[in-house]
Amino acid sequence: MRELLRWLLGVADKGGESSSDVARQRMRLVLIQDRIDLSPDKMAQMKQEIWEVVSRYMVVDDDFLEFEVRRLDELVMLVSHIEVKDLNALVGARSA
Amino acid sequence: MKGRTIVITSGKGGVGKTTATANLGTALAMRGHSVVVIDTDIGLRNLDVIMGLENRIVYDLVNVIEGKCRLRQAMIQDKNRLELYLIPAAQTRDKDSITPEQLKGLCGELENEFDFILIDCPAGIEQGFKNAVAAAGEAIIVTTPEVSAIRDADRVIGLLEASGLHRPKLIINRISAEMVKRGDMMGQEDVESLLAMEVIGLVPADERTVAAANRGIPTVHDGRSTAGAAFKRIAARIDGEEVPLQQLDARPGMFNRLRDMVGIKGRAYSHA
Repeated sequence: MRELLRWLLGVADKGGESSSDVARQRMRLVLIQDRIDLSPDKMAQMKQEIWEVVSRYMVVDDDFLEFEVRRLDELVMLVSHIEVKDLNALVGARSA
Repeated sequence: MKGRTIVITSGKGGVGKTTATANLGTALAMRGHSVVVIDTDIGLRNLDVIMGLENRIVYDLVNVIEGKCRLRQAMIQDKNRLELYLIPAAQTRDKDSITPEQLKGLCGELENEFDFILIDCPAGIEQGFKNAVAAAGEAIIVTTPEVSAIRDADRVIGLLEASGLHRPKLIINRISAEMVKRGDMMGQEDVESLLAMEVIGLVPADERTVAAANRGIPTVHDGRSTAGAAFKRIAARIDGEEVPLQQLDARPGMFNRLRDMVGIKGRAYSHA
């Protein structure tokens, strides 16, 4: 009966998202996660390039450079941990 | 002559690769081209039954590759005597029976004699997929507007790129305009933007395709099949013809349905 009422009142709960909206949002996330699964050599290449860019501005440890893919609600984030070795060099970069 | 070898693939099973291969092969042959369709799903062959040629098989793909018969002996001509030939898969062997190089060699040979070689790729991304992809110069990905099929299609696009098959084309199969309109199915734009690839055709969900498979007659032979008409349009696009993608209209209302029944020609429900 409730179903019938809903139907009479117009397509189910129209205020809510349609299932295709939900599908679209879920797929967007899933595909990014699947895609970000870089091959080991691509990942190494990305690390190397990011390290090169960061080390132009501060002294960083090239052994300690990590990435992780995190999911925060709707966002997929690439998080990087980089150890700064020499804080003076960082200050120096600031004043430069 | 230098023919074009096109692999029809999807990742996920059951989305309509074999039906697409049979229909595109038939439609291209109806356009006057010489076509060979190859079933590379060794162990689980099906293209023969979809084309209604299952009773004519003597030799298969593995027999040819192993030199047990000549290439021509394994090629079964279409029932309507079109310039369309099927090379069936072996049923009692496994996918390791052939190598990518062997299939590539075979297709290379066929390219000298035929306009189109369509490879019906098995589901999955294992050996059978690798064989099929290695032999092709172009790729068509078949998907349905469902999350599982789209995800697998995306994986396959990456794998195709990795093996040098760039810019594959997408067929969105079994799309229901009514469900899209209702918000219960992703539409063309959704799928297109998720996968970021060119759509070469939309094939409406059409019960007549099931009936056609029952009979072993590709649905492009059925003048009343909306899916058949869509496959013909895709074949025209493969052939280089500029055929605009048509938006799917929602299913016909009572009036259109009646009009269909009495056979008045009109823009009842269009298809791409």
